Amino acid sequence: MISIKNVSKWYGDFQVLTDCTTEVSKGEVVVVCGPSGSGKSTLIKCVNGLEPFQSGDIIVDGISVGSPKTDLPKLRSRVGMVFQHFELFPHLSITDNLALAQIKVLGRKEDEAKKKGLALLDRVGLSAHAAKFPGQLSGGQQQRVAIARALAMDPIAMLFDEPTSALDPEMINEVLDVMVQLAHEGMTMMCVTHEMGFARKVANRVIFMDKGAIVEDANKDEFFGSPRSERAQAFLSKILQH
Amino acid sequence: MDFSSLVTAMPGLVSGMMLTLKLLVLAIVGGVALGTLLALARLSHNKLLSNLAGFYVNYFRSIPLLLVITWFYFVVPFIIGWLTGTNEPIGAFYSCLVAFMMFEAAYYCEIVRAGIQSISRGQVNAAYALGMTYSQTMRLVILPQAFRKMTPLLLQQSIILFQDTSLVYAVGLMDFLNSARSAGDIVGELHQFLLFAGLVYFIISFGASTLVKRLQKRLTV
Ligand SMILES: Nc1ncnc2c1ncn2[C@@H]1O[C@H](COP(=O)(O)OP(=O)(O)OP(=O)(O)O)[C@@H](O)[C@H]1O
Ligand SMILES: [Mg+2]
Repeated sequence: MISIKNVSKWYGDFQVLTDCTTEVSKGEVVVVCGPSGSGKSTLIKCVNGLEPFQSGDIIVDGISVGSPKTDLPKLRSRVGMVFQHFELFPHLSITDNLALAQIKVLGRKEDEAKKKGLALLDRVGLSAHAAKFPGQLSGGQQQRVAIARALAMDPIAMLFDEPTSALDPEMINEVLDVMVQLAHEGMTMMCVTHEMGFARKVANRVIFMDKGAIVEDANKDEFFGSPRSERAQAFLSKILQH
Repeated sequence: MDFSSLVTAMPGLVSGMMLTLKLLVLAIVGGVALGTLLALARLSHNKLLSNLAGFYVNYFRSIPLLLVITWFYFVVPFIIGWLTGTNEPIGAFYSCLVAFMMFEAAYYCEIVRAGIQSISRGQVNAAYALGMTYSQTMRLVILPQAFRKMTPLLLQQSIILFQDTSLVYAVGLMDFLNSARSAGDIVGELHQFLLFAGLVYFIISFGASTLVKRLQKRLTV
């Protein structure tokens, strides 16, 4: 479904990604972790072309992200993305946040789009808030709306960039629950997160990044059982203490 | 003070004010539209486009408005005649309108540019991630938020424009101030008419400015 092949990226002289190669198959849940600044966000943004990269290629559902001929907006409309800071559109109501891209990008009829949005809002447990604006919701609620907004596009895969790290601790679980449910339904997911409980529960594989490189790419049990690299071990012991 | 001559001159003054307001509104609409395009060009990754827009803005901000008005008075009819292939004179109103639009666009551009830059990159990414194109992202997500933030500044700039419209006297357009001056001249009470005009400009500008400040407070709360 998503295949990342020898991707390297530079900001000027600074190399952010070094020869990253990995694969996310259909229905697989892959968790990406690693220290701050290791390039996790950059890598995941390369997957839907939000960040350009200079060498290597990424193939999403048979389409090359790096090729200049690719219709990036069209490709992105098929891949959902959830951000650390939710990024709901503050000038639009929740209903309109959910409907906007369905109407403008997919060409759905307004009532159809709103109906679909409401159904998804119900699924994340927020149907009572349809008429509100993002600023009136808590962080956890906003993030659940953001997930619903991405799902409204009927994505073939979902990308998550630290979806819970901007949340107060008591709101983390309500978001993780939605993600777990999604994983159980068979959604293909690539998640940058440090929530190792989530990883243990639903991940198929865990990728550990350091200094722009993928230093560990292992099955979940292998990763938690016996991570091979010292840095991964050090990182794991650090975050598992919390 | 004798107000009878003011009352007699009122129809002329009102039509002068109508011209001032018409010029103002059209110049704001055109200036903001052109200014927004310039702002998008300035923020574009295309070096040529952003440099051209930057040159435009710096150029118009470096020359006096009066010069632009008089200059356009001679040049615009020529250009429009050349574009449409007719020789019909288009008159001072349209040459002034074009002058104000193009001059103010340079100022509006900087306001709009700051407004766009105040919206976080994450909003752009979120719109792109949903499959929106650049133009959809700007029209549906970024500009609506930016304009909301910029409204007080745009209005403040428009109040300055309201006062600057009086410069059209240079090309003989009968705006409010020019109507007042000419009516006062005729009845030999110039000072009285000019005082009255000053009062009107003050009330409108100060009133609008107060409203804008109140709006600004409401937006920042
Ligand atoms: N626009 C940019 N220009 C230059 N350097 C950048 C830019 N964006 C990111 N970087 C650098 O690239 C590196 C990787 O950044 P990235 O955001 O991908 O890390 P991350 O693993 O997501 O970190 P975090 O856990 O803090 O989110 C960092 O060192 C960062 O400073
Ligand atoms: Mg990050």
